[in-house]
Amino acid sequence: MGNGLEKNWEPKILAFLCNWCSYAGADLAGTSRIQYPPNIRVIRVPCSGRINPLFILKALQNGIDGVLVSGCHPGDCHYLSGNYIGRRKSATLKRFLEYLGFEEGRVQFSWVSAAEGEKFSQVVEEVTRDIKKLGPAERFVKNDDSGKN
Amino acid sequence: MKLKLDKKDFNPFLQSLMDEYDLFAPVQLAEGVSVYKKIDRPDEVDLSTSNPQKPAKEVFFPQSEIMFRYEKTGKQHQVTSTEGVERKRVILGARPCDIHAVSLIDHVFSGKEYTDVYYANKRNATTIIGIACDHPLSTCFCTSMNGGPFSREGSDLFLVDLGEAYLVELLTEKGMAFSQNKFLKKAESNDLNLGREIEEKASKKMDASVPVEGIEKRLDQMVESPFWEKVQEKCIGCRVCTYLCPTCHCFDIVDEALTNKGQRVRNWDSCLSSLYSLETSGHNPRSTNRERTRQRIMHKFNYFPKNFDRIACVGCGRCILYCPANFDIRQTIKEIQKGGDK
Amino acid sequence: MIQEKIRQKAKELLENKTVDLIIGFGEGTLPLRATPLFIRNPEEVDRLIWNSFCENNLATYLHKFSQFKVGLVVKGCDARSIIALSLEKRFKPDQLFLIGVPCQRMVDRRRVKKAVKGEILRAREQGDQIIVEGEDFKTALKRDDYLYPSCQVCTHRTPIKANVVIGDPVEERSLIEAHPEIKEFEKKSPEERWKYFEKESSRCIRCYACREACPMCYCAECFVDSPNPKWIEKGLSPSDIEFYHIVRAYHQTGRCSGCGACERACPMEIRLTYLTQKLNLDVKELFDFETGIDADALPPLSTYETEDKQEFIK
Repeated sequence: MGNGLEKNWEPKILAFLCNWCSYAGADLAGTSRIQYPPNIRVIRVPCSGRINPLFILKALQNGIDGVLVSGCHPGDCHYLSGNYIGRRKSATLKRFLEYLGFEEGRVQFSWVSAAEGEKFSQVVEEVTRDIKKLGPAERFVKNDDSGKN
Repeated sequence: MKLKLDKKDFNPFLQSLMDEYDLFAPVQLAEGVSVYKKIDRPDEVDLSTSNPQKPAKEVFFPQSEIMFRYEKTGKQHQVTSTEGVERKRVILGARPCDIHAVSLIDHVFSGKEYTDVYYANKRNATTIIGIACDHPLSTCFCTSMNGGPFSREGSDLFLVDLGEAYLVELLTEKGMAFSQNKFLKKAESNDLNLGREIEEKASKKMDASVPVEGIEKRLDQMVESPFWEKVQEKCIGCRVCTYLCPTCHCFDIVDEALTNKGQRVRNWDSCLSSLYSLETSGHNPRSTNRERTRQRIMHKFNYFPKNFDRIACVGCGRCILYCPANFDIRQTIKEIQKGGDK
Repeated sequence: MIQEKIRQKAKELLENKTVDLIIGFGEGTLPLRATPLFIRNPEEVDRLIWNSFCENNLATYLHKFSQFKVGLVVKGCDARSIIALSLEKRFKPDQLFLIGVPCQRMVDRRRVKKAVKGEILRAREQGDQIIVEGEDFKTALKRDDYLYPSCQVCTHRTPIKANVVIGDPVEERSLIEAHPEIKEFEKKSPEERWKYFEKESSRCIRCYACREACPMCYCAECFVDSPNPKWIEKGLSPSDIEFYHIVRAYHQTGRCSGCGACERACPMEIRLTYLTQKLNLDVKELFDFETGIDADALPPLSTYETEDKQEFIK
């Protein structure tokens, strides 16, 4: 993986963070001045259960190199069971994407609480490292015209 | 003019065409599945199947066609036209039914009142090499629809498979442009006799048993008949018939826009979708399958004849072969002619 | 015998006005085909047939006939679709009378066609064989060698929760042992798997026959038609086609009965069940759920267990 890789290629990683836990955790990492790779772009969602699998697919189609979905620990969801529902969607989607041929590690999941600024930075480190190893996303990226003449 | 092409010369012949023309021919995508495509190598051509899934009209009316592109750089807008056709084209191996269908949709795209420049440019630039059906299928009913397995109508050149060679008939001015092709030899009388034999044999297989005489008037009387409720029962609205039909020509135009560039695209559409006639207000004049199935049949056998004096069905049989529910238009036509009683 | 019993039952149901309409199978107009049949009069029951060409999932018609009391001939997979649909409240349970038939598994007419040279003009079943005849050939094929991919891995051939079951129940296999194709496929590298998916989906012509044939696809607005958000365009972009197939399959998670109607409807012969079968397998492994077996088990993506597996979550 990684043919034609530019020397200074930096992956673009989309991070869906649930408002109540993971986003707050990311914020804590920031206020604590903990360093972590700048490759993630954050999208704040109310709950990890809100994630529509189509968001992840659309991101991959648009050329994003990796996706992280992070929510509250089981039992701590602000909406009580949103993360449990999200967990089932995540499990089935992850397996399906890998079966289809997406590389393992392109799409990752974590539980990060509002108090876990340190953990958040570690998760981002790991995910960034994994995606760097995988190289730029090539599967499925839309860079063609819809029509042919 | 009748010439002959030995099969051992077939690939070199194709290569000689490709030096001058963009060559479109049936290409196998999987076993039993083929479509017309622009070929890069002669060995891609597959004339073994009776009819590709997608009809020859694709060469003039692609399923997805860019109408123009635009790009904004700085304060400038650049619009690129895609109307032109860069090279002359040849369709090789189109069946008489598909060619007949093209002449039908010519009325829509290149007719008296309107000219669709995208269609017309391709049409004018194309030479059609038709091929005879020496083994019509039992689902073929072209002879009931003013066609036939050896109908030369609409072809510029016409091939008949003689086994070791093809008989090549040059029929029009465009066809005569091939008269000097070094791979085409003079056809001998035994070649011509063999061709006639094969034609006779094929014609005997067709029984012209689908009665369309007077169907337009019949349908005029049946618009509100309970027949339509019954006939649509098994139809699941899957649209396969409309996507494979050589005379269907509905389309939808969409703009595909990115931030600073995009394109306008025309895609095939189908009257069998519930969305097809859905209006912005939310009203849908064809809200159930009954109205949509009725519309499809009326269009082919009543509206199109009203507009262009011709039935818009060529008897290719694709809708019969590929319908998942075995909706059989031959049966439906017979029921209509009986007044709509099952 | 099964055919006769179906006719008897249908006659009874229509005469007693237990149902307004019977949906079953009738003789097709082509060899190797049966066709969905809709009858309302007891006199018509002799048009009902039963054979190895009764491939359609008739549950998909229930969306159209929701205002009637319907008697439906169902195979194992069809009955599962109906349970899945009733869980989603698509109709009231007392609207239906299910005439269940333990399925002998259906014959893949496309593969039969490819096994001979020349057009098949006549076909019939004889014992465990299919006899096909053309202009200049007559061949006997072993029926069980020509089953649909979906039927080859079927694990619930006997309809569950049918009002009546005609014929003897058949021995079922477990879900895990029935999927050698998936296990083999999973041994391939990610590149090989993606290449396979790319190749299969490249033939797609966006006709959506797969969607319409599927009893579980009944959304008033399908995601492909959504203008806002517009997920994919309507052309033939390979990426958009892949997006469509990934999502349509994924939308069947915990809902698919494995009937294979999608694959059979596709005019371009795209392999689709290899996607849904994987989802069915995962849903069984992760949540011990199989669509349409337990009429009280909630669809797996609509519920949760606190102990659900999460080893993949950091």
